[in-house]
Amino acid sequence: MKNFLPSSRREFLWRFGGGLGGIAMAQLLGRQELLADVLAKGHLELNGGLHHPAKAKRVIQLFMNGGASQMDTFDYKPELIKRHGQKFDPGAGIHVEAATSVPGNVMKSPFEFKQHGQCGRWVTSVFPHLATCVDDMAFLMAVASKTNVHGPASFMMNTGFLLPGFPCLGGWISYALGSLRDNLPTFVVLPDPRGLPYNQKGNFTSGFLPVAHQGTIIHATAPTPIADLFPPATAKFITKESEQEGLALLNKLNREHLAQHPGDSRLDGRIASYELAAKMQLSAPEVFSLTGESDATRKLYGIEEKATEDFGRRCLIARRMLERGVRFVQIWSGAGGPTNNWDNHGDIPKELPPIANATDKPIAALLKDLKALGMLEDTLVVWSTEFGRMPFTQSNTGRDHNGGTSVAWLAGAGIKGGTAYGESDPWAWKAANGKTQSYDLHATILHLLGINHEKLTYRHNGSDRRLTDVHGEVVHELLA
Amino acid sequence: MLMIRSPILSRRGFPRTAVFALRLAMAGGMITLAGAAPAGRDSLEGRALAVLEKNCLECHGGKLTRSGFDLSSRESLLRGGESAQTPIVSGQPAESLLFGKVSHTAEPPMPYKRPKLSGADIELLRKWIAAGAPYAQPLLTEKDKVHWSLRPLVKPEPPKVKESKWARTPVDRFVLAKLEEKGLTPSAPADKATLLRRAYFDLTGLPPTPQQQEEFFKDHSPEAFAKVIDELLASPRYGERWARHWLDVVHYADTHGHDQDAIRENAWPYRDYLIQSLNADKPYARFVEEQLAGDILFPESPGAVAALGFIAAGPWDESTLKDIREDTIDRQMGRYIDRDDMVTTTMSTFASTTAQCARCHNHKFDPITQVEYYNLQAVFAGTDRADRTFDPDPKAATLRQTLVAQKALLDGKDRTAIDALITPAIEAELMAWEKSFAGKTIRWTALDPVTFTSANGATLTKQPDHSVLSGGTRPERDTTTITAVAGLTNITAVRVEVLTDDSLPLKGPGRQDNGNLHLTEFRLLTPTNPASPALAEVALQNPSADYDQPGWTISHAVDRDAKTAWGIYPQVGKPHHASLELKRAIASKDGVPLTFVLEQNHGGGHLIGRVRLSVTDAPLPIRLNPVPESIAQIFSVPMAQRTAGQKREVAAHFLRKQIDQRLAALPKKGLVYAGTSEFTPVGTHKPAGKPRAVHVLKRGDIHKPGDPATPGALSCVPGVPAQFEIADLNKEGQRRAALAKWLTHPDNTLVWRSIVNRVWHYHFGRGIVDSPNDFGRMGSAPTHPELLDWLAVTFREGGGSLKQLHRLILNSATWQQSSGHNAKFAQTDSSNAMLWRMNCNRLDAESVHDAVLQITGQLDLTMGGPSVRQFSLSPGIHVTPLIDYGKFDLDSAGGRRRSVYRLIFRTLPDPFMDAMDCADASQLTATRNVSVTALQALAMLNNRFMVRQSEHFAERLGQLGKTPPEQIAAAYQLALGRPPTKGETEALADYAQRHGLANTCRLIFNSNEFIFVN
Repeated sequence: MKNFLPSSRREFLWRFGGGLGGIAMAQLLGRQELLADVLAKGHLELNGGLHHPAKAKRVIQLFMNGGASQMDTFDYKPELIKRHGQKFDPGAGIHVEAATSVPGNVMKSPFEFKQHGQCGRWVTSVFPHLATCVDDMAFLMAVASKTNVHGPASFMMNTGFLLPGFPCLGGWISYALGSLRDNLPTFVVLPDPRGLPYNQKGNFTSGFLPVAHQGTIIHATAPTPIADLFPPATAKFITKESEQEGLALLNKLNREHLAQHPGDSRLDGRIASYELAAKMQLSAPEVFSLTGESDATRKLYGIEEKATEDFGRRCLIARRMLERGVRFVQIWSGAGGPTNNWDNHGDIPKELPPIANATDKPIAALLKDLKALGMLEDTLVVWSTEFGRMPFTQSNTGRDHNGGTSVAWLAGAGIKGGTAYGESDPWAWKAANGKTQSYDLHATILHLLGINHEKLTYRHNGSDRRLTDVHGEVVHELLA
Repeated sequence: MLMIRSPILSRRGFPRTAVFALRLAMAGGMITLAGAAPAGRDSLEGRALAVLEKNCLECHGGKLTRSGFDLSSRESLLRGGESAQTPIVSGQPAESLLFGKVSHTAEPPMPYKRPKLSGADIELLRKWIAAGAPYAQPLLTEKDKVHWSLRPLVKPEPPKVKESKWARTPVDRFVLAKLEEKGLTPSAPADKATLLRRAYFDLTGLPPTPQQQEEFFKDHSPEAFAKVIDELLASPRYGERWARHWLDVVHYADTHGHDQDAIRENAWPYRDYLIQSLNADKPYARFVEEQLAGDILFPESPGAVAALGFIAAGPWDESTLKDIREDTIDRQMGRYIDRDDMVTTTMSTFASTTAQCARCHNHKFDPITQVEYYNLQAVFAGTDRADRTFDPDPKAATLRQTLVAQKALLDGKDRTAIDALITPAIEAELMAWEKSFAGKTIRWTALDPVTFTSANGATLTKQPDHSVLSGGTRPERDTTTITAVAGLTNITAVRVEVLTDDSLPLKGPGRQDNGNLHLTEFRLLTPTNPASPALAEVALQNPSADYDQPGWTISHAVDRDAKTAWGIYPQVGKPHHASLELKRAIASKDGVPLTFVLEQNHGGGHLIGRVRLSVTDAPLPIRLNPVPESIAQIFSVPMAQRTAGQKREVAAHFLRKQIDQRLAALPKKGLVYAGTSEFTPVGTHKPAGKPRAVHVLKRGDIHKPGDPATPGALSCVPGVPAQFEIADLNKEGQRRAALAKWLTHPDNTLVWRSIVNRVWHYHFGRGIVDSPNDFGRMGSAPTHPELLDWLAVTFREGGGSLKQLHRLILNSATWQQSSGHNAKFAQTDSSNAMLWRMNCNRLDAESVHDAVLQITGQLDLTMGGPSVRQFSLSPGIHVTPLIDYGKFDLDSAGGRRRSVYRLIFRTLPDPFMDAMDCADASQLTATRNVSVTALQALAMLNNRFMVRQSEHFAERLGQLGKTPPEQIAAAYQLALGRPPTKGETEALADYAQRHGLANTCRLIFNSNEFIFVN
């Protein structure tokens, strides 16, 4: 990672950040001589895993930006119905505070809860489609945050730290496992077209890991979904022919230079990187084009309906990328800021249904589609948010931030559907039993990918940094 | 039994030759030493101790002393650790805890969480204990246990070397000695062209121009290259290049980071301070001290305030520290986290130490306690990040200081000092001045309130000076009603004074947190007739105030518009007044009952803190008194009858006014985003007043505050006291000054080693210590410890001149070696840690950007000033703006500046620079990654900056040459510093003829040769 030379092509390959896995291996294994053995195994897939056999080959994470309200979606609390309109008093003289407001009265969910599936999970009316998938989903019912503020909470759920500058989950996975194929980026992010989430690109950063592990942003609906994939359209002097001949000539010049400067694998590396770039130029456009998808599929994802068109399209593109070897896809619902997201301070009955509705059908479609394609076997689907919301009102019918508890769910590879772990208190105010934090969710995701979260480390400024800091327990209760 | 000390037991790099022989006599478990005779490393003692050293020492006496058990010497081994059981019962392995643990019959099994020892090793230990555990010489001495970076700085003699002809400088002798030790030899000197390109990029971040190349090639004197180094160090480009390194280390950016990533409009003066300081070769100790406490230690040096941008360089969580409720645990935690960044940045940057690892517990690897960490937090307990004022012009600063000092004198009690200021010349001016007021002063009579009420529950109390002070509950809005009887027979105008009071925020005069108030409406009522209780409103006109907040003028207090009001922000902390004429004067023989209604309905607690009402009978028009009431009263006394005190008061007032005028005429103060305890409050982000309490948080948990911390530093640095002696703990600046002095202490072993290592890192692409931010046990060990110490002491003794250090390194034969490959040496030392050649380094993001601009002829060398926005900006949905790098006009003036002047957006970095491994401004970056990715190749090929610059390059070549071969030759000279070969000319000229010069230029920029420096 430093400016000095890697000694060999082999070392270079580890450093390359693409194809074969990344330098993590060298540190993880601790012994240089083992590198050759690992290389001989080829791609680290289900057979081996990094530390143990993996269940999941790839991950898609759906991040509900703003703090999805647990007691209005998945966390059914009769106590709130009973005490609706009363002053919120958890008893024992416990101090109640809220991040941006004076605590109001207890508010029951304005949406009807019903039990669904074989497992009988409670889901409100805002998720009619997702409710049909509960037997595939495993819930974490008491996910707590260390903060009640969007910025640090989003950092925590993405990077395991409250501070900026730490690598995110996708970055760590890219670093640990590398790519499944080399013609597309390893880790991609599809932000909400209305805007980046809180912390902007800070949530997709590779931090102190090499930049190769940073999330590549895909603007799904823009004319150029990947920045710099092609020359700007205004540069008329660049033609198909000039490009083809030019790259061949560049290759020739670089090889002559290499011949005069032997022993430096970075020079090989750069030559190879232009070859990879050309491959990506060929493969990427095909991924974004949905023309090959059937009407039934487009319908399933809700692409024909205005409310679900955008999120459905992004889910379908994500599925196409997963099919083509992308390791980690993160889709964001909601932009940063006070509106167009899950941060429903003002009016739960009015603000929550549209954002929930925009994702409900597409996410259910994704689960069903992956299942039909047989991909749910080795694809892990994760739904999460940065924190929950308060059991009492803000303004008249809104809810303030609540780091005390929230809900996340997982589905697919290695997950025991229809299960749940953890429980919030009777008001869904704080985690009561089986409390989990970002660390446990991340440890579980890594575990399914064949990674021991305690062993995936990177030395930076004096610490062997981990995604899970010094915490994290794999939630075995949710695993098949 | 005769033994020899096993050579296996030698420590890293220091083979031990001492041979001990001993005889062990078994007597009741006691071991006695005697005799001296050689023994083999295969002896029982030697082999057993080797097993302990390899498997146990690291955690028990080496890096760590887990469970208090230290087996690095026989004495400590026998003493045992926290366990009550004896580790070794001589001669009885079964009774020995150590044996129990390694044989897995006692809990917890050892080595902890590692594989069990082999059966042979366990058997060996059993025999060894059975034999009485012979153990003559300690595995580690006390001296060994002091980590290298904490050992006192001693200047070593440069070692003797065989190839003394090659070794041009002491640096070379240290390097060569190591090479010779490893059987390596240095590489041949680099050729002139390579050397020149290397030096230019290294010191200035730009390639040499063809003219500069030509001059150097013409100069055949032996000093030619030394001259180039001197020229480059004298070039302003040097400061720009090296300030960029420093900005990486301190994680500088022009925005806050976090979710509310707002732009810091005034971060850049710190960047300019760095460039100027480096160009001026400021002594390093002073450079350090200014960045932590320039305001306190160098008050005469105005630039030293801009230096404090260091403290504020890192991210700031605006949402947590400004916007959420102040009374939440999240806010408290946010403050600890904010100070953590200040501590981490300071200790990493200057001391290369990881104090931040002791936030939740004592440092696991280095001798730093949790208390010491929080003591470092206490240094910054009163420091916030905010805009603070400073004088960019040193002359103005000096004058301002003189004037402010004079003003303080006038406000003081030293009468002689004041009288000394009243020279005959001043007295003459004074006289003329007073005359100009003849007949213009207005006598106001303060009204004694009879009743005074608050509509919304504030507590009002009458003061001896007839003012009414508001306290107690602070309602959002309030209306104050005051009644009084005016003794005058004729009332022509009223005056409202809003006064300061110590009980008010920032002394008032308002009750809002920022000291402001909003007087929505002011009404005066009188009885319709003397007998009736009915009141009628008196019409008011011509309002005027001594100060109107922009947009909040006094006329708003009589406009009968509830949405507008009079305000005085930001002129808080001082009294203000306003006068209002009565449209028709009130005449009365017995005095008139007056009712004043002061509506303060703006909301947010914008209430008047202390108010006094006066009336006058002066004829209209009424204007504000040009002098305060007290002076106006003295004016009414004939000059001859005035007391000395009165004369002094008038003179002092006059002088104050003069000083104010001169101060106002000074150039405007600059603002720098810096560490400060003085700043204008925004929201609930406001100065601490005095340092906040910092507690030692148990396990780092905000819910578990322990003892209060007191400012201090680290006790592990020998000879520099960790406890600070601070005269006034309430002055936060003194705390920072103490830390600055602790760091720059000549005996601080960390600081002097840290900086020379950083400089070495940037010159070679790798430091002598490969972890420039961590000199602790988790960091790397120095490859050349003696060289590091020699450089550190030489640097310190030379007054901390960075330029001298650069000369020392760049003039060495080591730095001037070729970077050519040697397959044989690469087998011995693949990473070139021993420097058998120069490292070949890839250009960093800024060098690529700036070099491209220079090569295409577009580079604008304007220095300094506000950061350049190389993106388009529009309002975002919340605080963070929307920025689009794709919409920036690349040919605009800002697009051609050096990249050190770019506005660095923490959470929205420039994608091109990002692809080239530019530092992430959210993290302290001591060393940049160098990655090779397909996305980077795409950025170099297709990013609009590169594409546009290729066109500019082509245009320039069009002027430099007529034919394609001429143009290719010029291109090579500009971009690569050499003429093209015949083959290259032919291939590129052919390509240029078919696809144009711009495409050809694009290829050259994408070549490995361009992006690597040999």
